[in-house]
Amino acid sequence: MTMERTRAAGGTEQEPRSPRRGMPAGRVFVVLLISFLLWGLLYAPELQRSAEAQPEGVRRSISLAILEPVVWLSDTIGLTGVTDGTAEALGRDPDAAVGGSVGDIPIDVDEIPTFSPPPSSVGPTPTASPAGPGAGQEDTAIRVPTNRNKLRIAVVGDSLAAGIGYFAERVFKPYATNVVKQGRISTGLSRPDYFNWPGQMEFIVERFRPDLTIVMIGENDWQALRNLAGDIETQEGGSAWEQAYEERVERFASIATADGGHVVWVGLPIERNMGRWAFRRTQNEIYRSVADRLPNVTFFDSWQEFADADGRYTAYYRDDGDLTLVRTDDGVHFNADGYTILMERVARHVTDEFDLKPRLYES
Amino acid sequence: MLFPTIDFAIFFLLVFLGHWVLNHDRRAWSAFMIVASYVFYGWWDWRYVFLLAGVSAVSQLAAIMVARQDEQRRRMQVMAIGVAATIAPLLYFKYYGFVTVNAANTANALGINWVPPLIQVILPVGVSFYTFMAISYVVDVYRRDFEVSGWSDLFLYLSFFPHLVAGPIVRPDELIPQFEHRQDARHVDIVGAGWLILGGLFKKVVIANTLSAAIVDPVFGDPSRQSAVDALGGLIAYAVVIYCDFSGYTDIAIGVAKLLGFEFPQNFDRPYSARSIQEFWRRWHMTLSRWLRDYLYIPLGGNRKGPVRTYVNLMLTMVLGGLWHGAAWHFVVWGGLHGIYLAIGHWKTGMRATGRLAEPPSSAPVIVVQTVTTFALVCIGWAFFRADSVATALDLLGRILHGWSTPTELLTAQVLLWTAVGLATQFLPHAPAEWLRARLRGWQVVPLGVAAALFLFVLTTLGPRGVAPFIYFQF
Repeated sequence: MTMERTRAAGGTEQEPRSPRRGMPAGRVFVVLLISFLLWGLLYAPELQRSAEAQPEGVRRSISLAILEPVVWLSDTIGLTGVTDGTAEALGRDPDAAVGGSVGDIPIDVDEIPTFSPPPSSVGPTPTASPAGPGAGQEDTAIRVPTNRNKLRIAVVGDSLAAGIGYFAERVFKPYATNVVKQGRISTGLSRPDYFNWPGQMEFIVERFRPDLTIVMIGENDWQALRNLAGDIETQEGGSAWEQAYEERVERFASIATADGGHVVWVGLPIERNMGRWAFRRTQNEIYRSVADRLPNVTFFDSWQEFADADGRYTAYYRDDGDLTLVRTDDGVHFNADGYTILMERVARHVTDEFDLKPRLYES
Repeated sequence: MLFPTIDFAIFFLLVFLGHWVLNHDRRAWSAFMIVASYVFYGWWDWRYVFLLAGVSAVSQLAAIMVARQDEQRRRMQVMAIGVAATIAPLLYFKYYGFVTVNAANTANALGINWVPPLIQVILPVGVSFYTFMAISYVVDVYRRDFEVSGWSDLFLYLSFFPHLVAGPIVRPDELIPQFEHRQDARHVDIVGAGWLILGGLFKKVVIANTLSAAIVDPVFGDPSRQSAVDALGGLIAYAVVIYCDFSGYTDIAIGVAKLLGFEFPQNFDRPYSARSIQEFWRRWHMTLSRWLRDYLYIPLGGNRKGPVRTYVNLMLTMVLGGLWHGAAWHFVVWGGLHGIYLAIGHWKTGMRATGRLAEPPSSAPVIVVQTVTTFALVCIGWAFFRADSVATALDLLGRILHGWSTPTELLTAQVLLWTAVGLATQFLPHAPAEWLRARLRGWQVVPLGVAAALFLFVLTTLGPRGVAPFIYFQF
C-alpha cells in the first residue's frame, strides 16, 4: 500500500484530467478497429509498395499475403483512386518508387566545361568479362579545380554513403569542391524496383557531371537480384549471383565514369556480426575486381582500415596512440568520428590514386 | 517497438482487448500487462529484457532492505548501496566507451602506454528512463514517502510499455496506486486520448521528420558550407524538431496510457513561451526536471547552503543532466551552459528579492524581449545538444555570425511553414482546441473512427516515407 495516493497525476499539455467523460471500452475498441482498418484500406497501396520493398523473408511474405486482398478491396470499391488523388493533392506522387529518386540537383551544369570521356566508358551498357571493357587502360588524373570551377564530388550509395556524405563535405575543402550527397538508406544494386541506382546515376551524371564519385553501397545487397519490374532474375548465393552482381557493379561504375568522371568505390567495412563476413568479403572482391578492370575506378579497402591488428572487428580506431570510438551500436555503421576518419582515408587514397592536386582535403 | 508502426498498432489492439477483458482480475491483469510490456521491450532486442528484469529485481530488493532498517544511518547506507547497484548497469552501458577513450587518451598524452579492454557496449533503449524511475522508487521508500510495493506492481511500474522507452519519468506514487484498483471501463476518454495520439503523430511524422530532412540534418551535417540564414534557420528548426519529436512521443505515451485508463504526469507545457530559463525548465521535460530537482539538486543541498554552494549545485545538476542525455563532451557543454543560465537567473532573483535589482515591468514589449531572449539562449544550447561535437556546434554558431555572404538554399517555404506551425503551438490559446474536443465528445463510434482514419491517412501521406526513430530513444 502506498503512504500517499496519486498526486497531480494526469493532465497533459493540451488537456487537464477529466476521468468522467468518455465512452465504454468496448465501443472504444470498435472506434480503434474502424480507424485502423479504414486507414489500412486508404493506405493499402502504399503499404503494399513498402512491403514489396522489404528484403526476402517471412515478414515480407506475410505482409504481402495480408495486403493483397486489402489492396484488391481498396481497388474494387474505388478507394485507390480517391487516395491517389489525395496523395497528389498533398504533393506526393502515388506511383513513385518506394525508395524515391534523386530528385532535382541544384547545379547549373551549363556553366561547367565538358570533358572528353575515355573511350572505355562510352557506348552500350557494358557487361562483366574476365578482361573487362576497360582492361589495360590507364587511369587519368582528375582535373585541377579552380575557384570558379570547383571539383564536383558526388557521394552515392546506401546508408553508409548517406553517412559519409556529410563528412565528405567537411573533409573536402569548401572553396575548391562542390559535394552532392545522394546516399539513400535501404538501397542497393539488388533491387532496382525499389531504387533504380543505375538510372539515378545516369541522372546525376547528366545533371552534375561529377569529377569524382564516391560509391559506398552493398550493405543491403545480399539477396535475390530483381529487375526493374520486381521479378527475381538471380537467386542469392552461388556463382550465378556473383557474376550477375558483378555485372551490375560494373555497369554502375561505367555509368559514373562515362562522362570522364572518376570513381572511388569504398568497400564494405568489417562488421561485428561474423556470420556476414563471408558474403561481405565476396562483395568486396567483386568491387575490387571491377575497380582493377575499369580505368578511373579505384577501390578503397575499408575492411582492413577498421579491423584490429588481428583482423577482428573492433569498434575503436587507434591512430598514433590516440583511441577513438568509431562504430555505432549496430556494429555496421560509423559514428561521426568514424565517418570523419573514413572520409579522410578515402580522400588521401583518391589523392594518391588519381594524382589529385592540390591537396583538397583536411585531416 | 516504435509507436508509429503497424507492429505497434496490432500490438496495442491486442493489449487493449486483454487489458479490459482482464480488468476485473488484478492478478491475471498484472501478469498480462507485464508480459505485454516485456514483449514490447523485447521486440527491439529480446536479450535486454533480462536487464530490465534485473534492474527491477535489484531496486525491489534494495527497497525491501531499506524498509527493514529502523536506524536512520543504517537506512541511508542501505539506500546508497541500493541506488549504486541500481545505477551500475546504466553507468556501464552508457559511459564505458566514453570513459575508456578519454582515460586511454589521457594516459597516452602522459606517455603511458595503456590499452584498456576495447569492448563495444550497446546502449539498451530506455535504460536511462527506467533506471531513474527505479532510483526514485528506492529513494522514496528510504524517505518514507512510499511503502514497498508488491513485486508484480514494481515490475509493471518499471516496464509499463507506454512510458518504457522515453518516459515520461513517472514517480511510484503516481502510477503504482493506479495498478491497485480496476480502471473505469465505462468512461474511456477516447477523444482526449485520440487527440493526444494523433496530435503527437502529427508533430512527429509531419513536422519533426519533415524539418529534420529538409534543413536540420543538412545544416548540422556540415555547418561550414551553410549561409548565416540557413544556419540560423536550421538551428531554430531544430528547436521545433526536438520539441515536436519529444513532446510528440510523450503525447502518444500519455494518450496510449489514457486509453487503458491510466493518467501520466504532464511532461511539456509550451516551453518556448517561457520568459526565463528557470521557467523554461519548469515547462520542458518536466518529469526529468523535477527528478533532477528532487533526487539530485535538493540532496546536494539545493539553495540551503549559501549562494556559492547553490551555484555549484546548479552547475553540477545540469552537467550531470547533460551527461544523462549522452556520454559526450557536447552534452556536457549543453548542461554546463544551462547551469550557467540558471545560476545567473538565480543570482538575479536574489538581487531582486533584496531590492538591489529592479523588477522588470510586465509590459508587452518586455515580455516579448524576455521570451525571445530565453528562446535564443535555449537555441544556443540546442546547437551543442544536436551537433556531433563541440567544434561542430561552434562552427554552426560561427556561420550565423559570419555566413551572410553565402547564398541561402535550405530555407524553403515548406521549412518556414512547419517551423512557424511548430512555434505557433507554443502560443495558441487552449480554447479552440477545447471547444473542438467538446464537440467531438458528442460524436458516435463510426464518425469518430472514420475521422481518425482520415486524419491518420493525411498525416502519413504528408510525412516523409519511412519511420525515423524518436530522438529521445538514444538517451
